[in-house]
Amino acid sequence: MSLEKIEGLIIEILHELAEEEKFKSFLEANTDTPLYGGSSLLESIDLVGLLADLEDAVADEFDIDIIIADERAMSQRISPFRSVRSLTNYVQKLIDKVEVE
Amino acid sequence: MWLTNKFIEEYAEKEAIVFDGKVYTYQNLYDRIKHYQKIIDQEITEGQVVAITSDYSFESIALFFALVHKKTIIVPIASTVQEEIKDRIEESKTDVVLSFDKEQLIFKKRDPSEKHEIINKLSTSKHTGLILFSSGSTGRPKAMVHNLDNLINSYQGRKNKRLVFLIFLMFDHIGGLNTLFNCLAMGVKIVIPTDRTIEAVCKLIEDHKVNILPASPTFLNLILIGEGHVRYDLSSLRLITYGTEPMPESLLLRLKESFGRVKFLQTFGTSETGITKTQSKNSTSTFIKIGDENSEYKIVDGELWLRSKTQILGYLNASMERFTTDGWFKTGDLVEVAEEGYLRIIGRNKEIINVGGEKVLPSEIESILLTHPDIIDCLVYGQANAITGQAVTADIVPKSTNEVRQLKRNIKKFCKERLDRYKVPAKINIVTKTNFSSRFKKKRIQDT
Repeated sequence: MSLEKIEGLIIEILHELAEEEKFKSFLEANTDTPLYGGSSLLESIDLVGLLADLEDAVADEFDIDIIIADERAMSQRISPFRSVRSLTNYVQKLIDKVEVE
Repeated sequence: MWLTNKFIEEYAEKEAIVFDGKVYTYQNLYDRIKHYQKIIDQEITEGQVVAITSDYSFESIALFFALVHKKTIIVPIASTVQEEIKDRIEESKTDVVLSFDKEQLIFKKRDPSEKHEIINKLSTSKHTGLILFSSGSTGRPKAMVHNLDNLINSYQGRKNKRLVFLIFLMFDHIGGLNTLFNCLAMGVKIVIPTDRTIEAVCKLIEDHKVNILPASPTFLNLILIGEGHVRYDLSSLRLITYGTEPMPESLLLRLKESFGRVKFLQTFGTSETGITKTQSKNSTSTFIKIGDENSEYKIVDGELWLRSKTQILGYLNASMERFTTDGWFKTGDLVEVAEEGYLRIIGRNKEIINVGGEKVLPSEIESILLTHPDIIDCLVYGQANAITGQAVTADIVPKSTNEVRQLKRNIKKFCKERLDRYKVPAKINIVTKTNFSSRFKKKRIQDT
């Protein structure tokens, strides 16, 4: 349930980005859309902005404050920023962790 | 002393100080100085370090000059935070602490450990001294020692003027002392606020027909936000001088629009070198020209370096690392150079935000943000970020807090259209007030 919602938030942000010509293809963003690294369109500075927007959206939606871009995220064996799916899963983990605490 | 002699020889009948509803003439001030000279004569000896724990008042100014006559080393402490007062007394190795209980002068004698060599030298050469502290926004406040005779003498030769000044900066600040010495040397009327709120300051300007207001950009913006210029009659103002932090160009334009015929001039100085005479290109320009017979400047790697006749003798608790061996002071202020010798202060080098190796100046972003129709104030700073090292963060005071999400989106879009990508704030926080100090100076670096 929550996974779907998180993915929805990410895709909504990608749709906003798609207003810029170079991110036009994000209009068709889905679970498998690559975000950062490989064939992705995002540069590090775009990713920083996207994650900040996502933190805001999560705070609005779930009333939970999380920090996505921290050392832990960077030291994951597989980057959580690879695709919409990996980011969704990672954010879910962060939310679960806050809820447990 | 030449300055206090002027009080009776040239200015005796003129009004000198307005404080707490009372008006004092230069004769009154002179008499009060004599009064304090008598009181301190038996209690204090030449060359002692004496702290005055008070902000500006008629009494504290008179006491200050009595201590100048006594050839002491003066530590003005305007803070009301007990811990800070204690630290400053310790760091300066103060011998006598003076405070006021109403109009009664209270002496507290101490027995500090051995004095710093700089203080001993001042005492033996029979010069008065002044100890000022840095704001300490990036560490322990530094105690700086000035030769006070030298500093006061730099105001010699000022002509008699008929003007009303408001003293905005505080008693323990180089800019506040500059206004004081400058005003007294010209025999002008000085209005001292007992409280530095917009209401109190605007009311004083209206009541006493103040002509000249020195202030910080943050405070001037607060006047606009609070519509002080609409609610009070500020038509006596002829000149507003601004300093202590960079002025966003967009704010200057709004000020000029709101204040009509008032001239705007930028002032520049550092606690280490004193105030440097500058000239603004015009009232809507943040470019200045440095032209001061007492100081010289150069620009090294974009940073302004100054060497002045009124610079400090040294620090009591810090190394001279910001001074070169041949006496240049590295101000830490970054400047942009334009034609015909004009310069613009664009920020402090410690406030630069490093976004993945790209350098971002908060003032540039703030100036753009302030042109957004829904923003009334803002503060830009760097926040640690695991991806780019630092990320640009903006605290925004909006006109209305409806539709926060839409507003944030809108602001990002606005910035993207006007700024390079790496300069666009990644994070936007909606706040009710930006983080500025009790001295109306924006705090971009957190206290440590």
